[in-house]
Amino acid sequence: MRYIKIYFTCLRIAFSQAAAYRADFLLGNIMSLLSNILFPLVTVVIYANGASFPGWSMWQVLLIQSVFAMSTGLSSMVTQGVMWATMDHIREGSFETVLLKPLPPLFYLTAVNFSTGSLGLFIGGLVMTVVSAVKSCTSAAGVPAFMVLFLAGAAVLCGLDLIMAAISFKWVGNSRIPEIFDSISEFGKYPAGIFPKAVKVLTAFIIPVASVGFFPASALLGEVEGYMLIAVIPCLVFLAFGIWIYHIMIKRYEGVGG
Amino acid sequence: MNRLRHRLAVCRAVAFVTYKEWSAYRTHSLVSAFVGPVYFIVQYFIWTAVYGSSSTFGGMELEQTIRYFGVSALIGYLTMDFADWNLQMLVRTGKFLIFALRPVHHRFFALSQKIGHRILGFFFEFLPCFFVFMLLFRIDIVPAYTGWTLLSVALTFLMQFYVNYCIGMTAFYFVQARGIRTVYMLLASVFSGALIPISFFPGALQRVMMFLPFQYTNYITAMVWTGSDSIGELGLSIPQAVLCQAIAAAVTALLSEVLYRASIRRFTAVGA
Repeated sequence: MRYIKIYFTCLRIAFSQAAAYRADFLLGNIMSLLSNILFPLVTVVIYANGASFPGWSMWQVLLIQSVFAMSTGLSSMVTQGVMWATMDHIREGSFETVLLKPLPPLFYLTAVNFSTGSLGLFIGGLVMTVVSAVKSCTSAAGVPAFMVLFLAGAAVLCGLDLIMAAISFKWVGNSRIPEIFDSISEFGKYPAGIFPKAVKVLTAFIIPVASVGFFPASALLGEVEGYMLIAVIPCLVFLAFGIWIYHIMIKRYEGVGG
Repeated sequence: MNRLRHRLAVCRAVAFVTYKEWSAYRTHSLVSAFVGPVYFIVQYFIWTAVYGSSSTFGGMELEQTIRYFGVSALIGYLTMDFADWNLQMLVRTGKFLIFALRPVHHRFFALSQKIGHRILGFFFEFLPCFFVFMLLFRIDIVPAYTGWTLLSVALTFLMQFYVNYCIGMTAFYFVQARGIRTVYMLLASVFSGALIPISFFPGALQRVMMFLPFQYTNYITAMVWTGSDSIGELGLSIPQAVLCQAIAAAVTALLSEVLYRASIRRFTAVGA
């Protein structure tokens, strides 16, 4: 109960901080919204030129990408700030200020680094998901499976954020760590059928980025398969691994900056 | 002549110091040796699937499109720029004052920094990816016309810098210019041709793009590199395309000077 109270206090402060730069906050969020319209432009252009991803309509592919954006927005709000804050503290050698707080470090960083700037991304993704789902003629029957797979996908992204934050304890000051994981997560934005079998297995069970966009979208389209639901397990394992490795790496903190 | 020699000496000194400074973080650059090929693999599978039903798309064949994306990544390593971020940070924190007091124009200083930074990028990003694309993926990545390609890359280098510097100058008006940077990066990601070749867009939009800066920061150079003899909707030859790029770079450089003179009057050196 105490932690929930602290978390919501931090949320209120985050929105107050955003209000200090109102124009930037509004513009940033509007841009996040627009990015949801512009990002899938590649897909729109492909279909507008008469080509296609075999077996997929334009709205079905857009559904995958919209769900991916929504999931990214959710994880960005919750854990992406942890990654950047951890990197900054380690580079500056100021992580002690976190360790001295009377709260578990990971909880503290999660609470104080709620990212209001990703709200637009989440809302934009949600709107695009609803529009794409309606245009793809999805049925309500797939919603429960979608919810499970969507949360599993968000867990993967949160796990990735925490793994990146953990890496920064050793790889000090490398702001390009997220690019490594962003590049891998690209595989989750497209129908899995276009990739070879090895990539499909890798993205379903080892680094389960297919759960971020492709699996939840398939559930909405009523095309969920057994292995997709099984893939929820590696997603949760992935998040647990992120939390575990973060705590392990805290012990390796040297306090010298870099 | 002496003035030019002095400026070259300043440029060389700043570039060298920047190179040394960033050499401490050379693993930053080496990240590209992983990220570049992974993005390329994704593009490879996307376009192989898309071309499954047709031999040409947007006037380009599969092999040409794959080559385009490889070249696009390499151009990014040679011309990457963050002058906008740097300038807006200096203005926001008030640190720009240090540069305003120096007997060197900040824009020239920033350009020299970029030269040093990209020389490092050449060794730790460009060369590893060049050889990965050429030897591992077996794509023909060697420029079709070396002279035109070098000139076009140089113009993209300048174009990116001047555009980003103009974006950075918005910090003199808004203090926190992150939103505007995001707008530009968003538009550039789509309309520079990094995500999709401009020739895949409708003809009318391609004509409009001729008057916008985006395609001069990637698409034109990528097409010159791949040796395309008919670039975009207007079917430009390589010399014509490079000429358009040179005009765009000159106009942007001029605009950055006009903006600088207007913006510097607003600088309070207080930060925010």
